[in-house]
Amino acid sequence: MRVLRIAGEGMNSLAANKLRTFFMMAGTIVGIAALTVIMAIGKGTEKKVMKRVEVFGPRAMMLIAGGGRALPPPDTSVTTLTLDDAQAIREEVTGLEMATPQAWQFGVSLKHEASQIQAVVWGVEPQWHEAWDWHAAEGEGISDEDVATMSRVCVIGSAVKRDLFGGTDPIGKSLYINKVSLTVKGVLEHRGTTGGDGGEFDNRVILPITTAMRRVMNVDHVGAIRIITQDVSLMEQQARQIEDLIRRRHHITPDVEDDFRIITAAIIADMVRGTSRTLSLLLMALAGLSLLVGGVVLMNILLISVAERTREIGLRRAVGATRGDIFAQFLTESLSVTFLGMLLGSAVGAAISLAIGRLTPMPAIVSWEPFALAIAFALLVGTFFGVQPARRAARLHPVEALR
Amino acid sequence: MLQLEGIEKTYLSGDVATPVLKGISFEVNPGEYVAIMGASGTGKSTLMNILGCLDKPTAGHYRLDDVDMVNLDDDELSHVRNHKIGFVFQQFHLLQRTSALKNVLLPLIYSDDYPEEAEDLAENALTMVGLADRIDYRPSQLSGGQQQRVAIARALITNPSMILADEPTGNLDSRSGSEVMAIFQRLHRDGRTVIVITHDRDLAEHANRLIVLDDGRIAEDELVDEPRDAEAELAAMTQSEEAA
Ligand SMILES: Nc1ncnc2c1ncn2[C@@H]1O[C@H](COP(=O)(O)OP(=O)(O)O)[C@@H](O)[C@H]1O
Ligand SMILES: [Mg+2]
Repeated sequence: MRVLRIAGEGMNSLAANKLRTFFMMAGTIVGIAALTVIMAIGKGTEKKVMKRVEVFGPRAMMLIAGGGRALPPPDTSVTTLTLDDAQAIREEVTGLEMATPQAWQFGVSLKHEASQIQAVVWGVEPQWHEAWDWHAAEGEGISDEDVATMSRVCVIGSAVKRDLFGGTDPIGKSLYINKVSLTVKGVLEHRGTTGGDGGEFDNRVILPITTAMRRVMNVDHVGAIRIITQDVSLMEQQARQIEDLIRRRHHITPDVEDDFRIITAAIIADMVRGTSRTLSLLLMALAGLSLLVGGVVLMNILLISVAERTREIGLRRAVGATRGDIFAQFLTESLSVTFLGMLLGSAVGAAISLAIGRLTPMPAIVSWEPFALAIAFALLVGTFFGVQPARRAARLHPVEALR
Repeated sequence: MLQLEGIEKTYLSGDVATPVLKGISFEVNPGEYVAIMGASGTGKSTLMNILGCLDKPTAGHYRLDDVDMVNLDDDELSHVRNHKIGFVFQQFHLLQRTSALKNVLLPLIYSDDYPEEAEDLAENALTMVGLADRIDYRPSQLSGGQQQRVAIARALITNPSMILADEPTGNLDSRSGSEVMAIFQRLHRDGRTVIVITHDRDLAEHANRLIVLDDGRIAEDELVDEPRDAEAELAAMTQSEEAA
């Protein structure tokens, strides 16, 4: 077909000038590679976000004692958050499924016979199991009666079973926390790690909240209140409502910061995205700059080439090329360059993404979507920067061009 | 096959109008071998650009195979150039870094149907100009005379109505020039229409008809009684070289 023959003329010229072709292509390669890496990191990050939000609870909020915005480790010296705060939330904020307080202590020594390990201790209400969707895999969980009678029982994480009890059946056995003896009544489902920097989930012991506060920790404040909304779309508004309520209850004047913080699933997602976002912005700048500079270089080399090949263009016109044919030839040259650059850039980008996924903590997932976007960009850049040289070539008058 | 009627061409540069062709009329019949002669600057190339549909006259009519070229648009003129006209230029105008064969094929790229046997046609054309053994050579590997013969093969590939040559021997030594003229005479004998433009009377006298331009007008238009024979001149050259 005629149009294919003319496209072929455009590509011949690229093949005949390999070094020039490479310079025309360099910007596209770098730009598309950066774009591919951005998308791979983006996709990896979103997967991580989803996993973390899933673990945190998509409908959950954590009201944590102590100010600031960051995630735990929380400031355990803050003693202002109380059981009454939890009660007030339940009474005054509508649209909540539950609000359950938990007392906590970190790095606590657990003893069983000769073994001793460090673990996290949480004092919880029975609803805690629902609130975290985390139940006893063996034995039983914390019950209302346990809380009411301040019973000396506990439910342990699978890591505690493994490390403190050597993997043997721990139900009915006892362990010591701060010299208080507790009977193991259950083992929690295995949760593994948080999928990020939150450490291991299973290295914990949960007790009835009353037992924890009065017998083990000897405190009358709690560490956090876990709140589950009925409707995710209300969460932002409920979070603000809760903030107002707790500020009022804690008598915090407007010029003073909160002595608590509210972590929502959205905040978790933001924090996971945080690190990747900086890199993505940097790469975005690199991609944009490369494509732009690369495009300008491409355009200028093509313009020079049009000037150098004026006679060739004149001859082609003389033997029958129309203006459109000349335009098509030079646009083909431009598009072939960006298309080829796009293929190389995608390959380089995919390789870098794989390396990032393997060698760094940053998640990166190689997929076909960046490739589709890369094709679009290649066509865009090739067209945008190729049109002017092509038009200049097409406008040459055959007689002038042949002179 | 072609008629010129009162062709004028005036170049405008700024406010300055330079009249170059001032009313040219003549006809060429199929199979004629015409030389257009004139001193440098009399407008021969300007006339050839019009004959070759590379440029339009300022006034007058130019009919080629009964179609008035004055009314055609740029795309239509490109199409006419592609299948009716074979150009031979003083500077050869071959594509560098491209084989003789590919150069000869170039006009077919722009034709509506690319014949299946295109490469055979190109080889035949190259054979016809005596370059059967130079098919894969690039212009830089060929002498000037050989390059011009590649250009002639290229002009023949689309089987055009006429061959238009502007100072085809201007860059060649006399032997290569005679070889080129011999090819034109052979084309004429085969029934093709050939128009050669030159400032050189010896060269012009190889044609059967001589049109002399002077100051933008036709000064003479006559048949050549006894055209010079390029083959004979070549033989004579060979003889004197051998004698020396
Ligand atoms: N594009 C142009 N603009 C102005 N003048 C031109 C142009 N092309 C040719 N001329 C003038 O027209 C005259 C004839 O030129 P040309 O046809 O090339 O002559 P020839 O081929 O007979 O030597 C010259 O005086 C030349 O300067
Ligand atoms: Mg001239």
